[in-house]
Amino acid sequence: MSQTATEPAVARTGRKTTARKYPWYVIQPVERDRVRRFLEAFAAILRYTNYKPLLDQYVRSSAKCSRCTATCPVYEATGDPRDIPCNRSALLLDVYRRHFTISGWMKAKLTGDPGLTEATIDEMARSFYRCTACKRCLLECPMGIDHGLLTHLGRWILGELRIVPKGLEIATIEQLHGESGNTSAILPHALVDTLEFLEEEIEEMFGIPIKYPVDRMDREYAFFPAVSDFLMEPETLMGNLVTIYAAGDNDRWTIGTGYYDGINYGLFYSDHVLERVVKKVVAEAARLRAKKILIGECGHASRSAKEFVPVFGGEQARPVVNIMEYTWEKLEEGKLDLDPDIVTEPVTYHDPCNIARSGWILEKPREILKSFCRNFVEMIPNRTENYCCGGGGGTVSVDEIHDFRMSVAGRKKAEQMRATGAKYVVAPCANCKKQLRELIEYHELDMQCVGLHDLILKAIRIPGAKPPEARAEG
Amino acid sequence: MTETLDFVRGPLFLMTFGFLVLGLARHVFLRTFAVVRALRRTPCRDVPWGRVARKTAGWFLPVRHVLRGAPLMSMASIVFHVTILVVPVFLAQHVFLWHRGLGLSWPALAAGAADFLTLTALGTGVFLFLFRMVDRTARHMSRFSDYFLLAAVILPFASGYFALHPEGSPLPYETMLLIHVLSGELTFLLLPTTKLAHVVLFLFDRASTDIFWRFVPGAGDRVAEALRGSPKGAEAS
Ligand code: SF4
Ligand code: SF4
Repeated sequence: MSQTATEPAVARTGRKTTARKYPWYVIQPVERDRVRRFLEAFAAILRYTNYKPLLDQYVRSSAKCSRCTATCPVYEATGDPRDIPCNRSALLLDVYRRHFTISGWMKAKLTGDPGLTEATIDEMARSFYRCTACKRCLLECPMGIDHGLLTHLGRWILGELRIVPKGLEIATIEQLHGESGNTSAILPHALVDTLEFLEEEIEEMFGIPIKYPVDRMDREYAFFPAVSDFLMEPETLMGNLVTIYAAGDNDRWTIGTGYYDGINYGLFYSDHVLERVVKKVVAEAARLRAKKILIGECGHASRSAKEFVPVFGGEQARPVVNIMEYTWEKLEEGKLDLDPDIVTEPVTYHDPCNIARSGWILEKPREILKSFCRNFVEMIPNRTENYCCGGGGGTVSVDEIHDFRMSVAGRKKAEQMRATGAKYVVAPCANCKKQLRELIEYHELDMQCVGLHDLILKAIRIPGAKPPEARAEG
Repeated sequence: MTETLDFVRGPLFLMTFGFLVLGLARHVFLRTFAVVRALRRTPCRDVPWGRVARKTAGWFLPVRHVLRGAPLMSMASIVFHVTILVVPVFLAQHVFLWHRGLGLSWPALAAGAADFLTLTALGTGVFLFLFRMVDRTARHMSRFSDYFLLAAVILPFASGYFALHPEGSPLPYETMLLIHVLSGELTFLLLPTTKLAHVVLFLFDRASTDIFWRFVPGAGDRVAEALRGSPKGAEAS
C-alpha cells in the first residue's frame, strides 16, 4: 500500500525485468505464447472453480440494454464505449463463448473467427484495471450481471500470465514469500517498535499508560488491521486501542506478531492469492487461540475475511468482526463516553464499497458518528448506492494510474464530497483513505479525510485520563 | 397454399412448440443442476434464498428502477415485455386454438383491447429498435444479434395484426397468416437457443450472481498445478 514500504521488494524481485507495457508496470510479463497460455489458464480455472455456470448464465443474459451505463462512475466520466460495463465484460464473455461453448465453436467454424488474439489480451489488461470492481452497476442491471466479479475473474486469468500491476504483485510476493510476510514489509520488531511509539503518544495525550496487548493467548479477538495503518494511520490505531480500553476489553484482544496484515490483494486479482492470504490470517488466529478475528478499519480486508474465512478457513475458521461493529456494540452497551462538544465541524461518511454495497455495514458507523458529531451530513447517494472512492479493486495501489483515479474514477466522489461542505470525511478503509486524500489534494477540497476511530480518539472520555478539551489544547 | 398452411399450422407447429417446451425445460434442469453442483463444491452454502427471491420478484416488474437509468428505454422495455407476453396468451383467436388443442380455456381479451395491446407492443418494439440505432451508448453496445432478435420478436405481432385486419394489409390474408405462423414458430426455435432464453433464465439471474461466486477451497492450487507445465512464473503470484 505504501510506496516507501514496498520499495525494498522492488529491488528484490528484479527491477531489470519490469516493463511498462500497459498504463502500469508489470514484473516479468510473459511474452511468448500468450494466447495459448491464456486459454489454458482459463480452461483450468473453469475446471476447478464455480465460474463456468456463472459464465453460462451471463453469456445468455447480457441484454446490452445500456442501463448500467447510468451507474458506472468510470463511464459517466469518460463516455468512452470501451468503458461501458457490459462491453468490458463482453471481452471475457466472447472468449468464453468462442472457445468454451459448442455453439461458439460452430459459429467460429462458419465465420472463420480466429478467436482470442494478442490484441484482445492487451485490451483486457487495459480494461480490467479501469474497473474498480465497485459493483455499482449491479444495482441497475436487470439481468443481475456482476461486472465486478467478471473483472476479478479476468484479472485472475491475466494474473496467471503475470499481467498484474507491479504495485499489487510486489506487495503480494512480499506477503506470501518475503521475510516480513506482509504487504508493507514491516518486520515483527518494527511492529513492536511502532506499537511502543504509539503507546508513548497515547500516554502523552491521555496522561495514563495504555498498552497494546501483543501475542496474548486465548483472547476473544485477534486483531488484523490493514498493515499499512501501522505506517500511515497512527490515529486510527490509537483510536482502536483507547476504544477497546475504555470499553474495559483491553484484556480481551491481542495483536499477534506471527501475522498482522488484514490486506488481501487476492480479492482484487486472484482466488489463489486470496486463499493463501486468508489462510495466513486464520492460522495466526488459531495460533493465538483467539475466538474471533477482528478486522480494523478497512473495507477490503473486512470483506475478504468476512466472506472468505468461512470458505478457506476449514476447521480453523472463526467468526469475523469489523472494528466498527465492535465499537457500535460497546456504544450501545453504554461503555463508551464520547464528548459531543469536540467535533463540531460538519462530518460526512464515505461508504466503502466492500462493506456497504452488500448492505453489511451501513448504519453502525453512522450511529456512532451521530452520537457525538453534532453536524453530520450525508453524501448523496449513499449506503448501498454510494459512489466508489475511485481507487477500488486495488487500483489505489497502482501509482502509475493516479491521473485516471483522480479525474475519471474518482471524479464523482470528489463532486459528492464537495457538495457536502463537510470538514471531515470519515472513510473507514485504508484504500479509500489514501484515494480520498489524493482526491482532496487534486480537486482542492477544503476538508480532511480521517478514520472513524480518529474522531473517537479526539472525543473519548476515559475516567482518570486527561479530558478531551485538555487534550485538544495540548 | 392451403396445404402449406395446414402443414405449418399442424405438424410444424407441434414440432416447434415441442422444441420450445423441451428447450426451456432443459435450461431449467441444467441451471438447477449447476446450482446444486456449485454448492456441493464450496463450504459456503448459506444462500440468502429469501433475499434472492425478493430481488428476482422485484425485477419482474421493475418500475422502481425505471428512473434510475435510461428511463425512456426502460419504460418502453417494460411495456414491451408485458404486452408481448399478454397478447399471444390472451388473444381470443389464440385462446380458441388453445382450447381446441389442449382442451384448456381461459378468458380472452376483448378485440379492442387486443388491438390496442398489439399496437403498443409494435410501437414499443420499434422504439427499442430505433433506440439501439440512435442512442450513442446503446449503438456502441449492440451487435447484429441484438437487432435481429428484436426484429424476430416483432415480426409475429406485425403479421398477426395484419392477419386480423386484412383491410389494411399489404399482402393477401393467407400469405399474412403464413408469415404470422412461421415467424411465431421461428421465435419458438430462437427462444431456447439464443439470448431470448432469458424468458426462463431470468429466474436464475440473481441466484447465479449470488451462488456462483462462491469459491472452491483448493481451486487456486489445482489451477496452479494444472498450469505448471507452462514456463515458470505464474507460481509467484
Ligand atoms: S464495478 Fe464499478 S467501475 Fe466496474 S463497471 Fe461496475 S460500476 Fe463501473
Ligand atoms: S445493465 Fe446489465 S444487461 Fe444491461 S447493458 Fe448493462 S450489464 Fe448488460
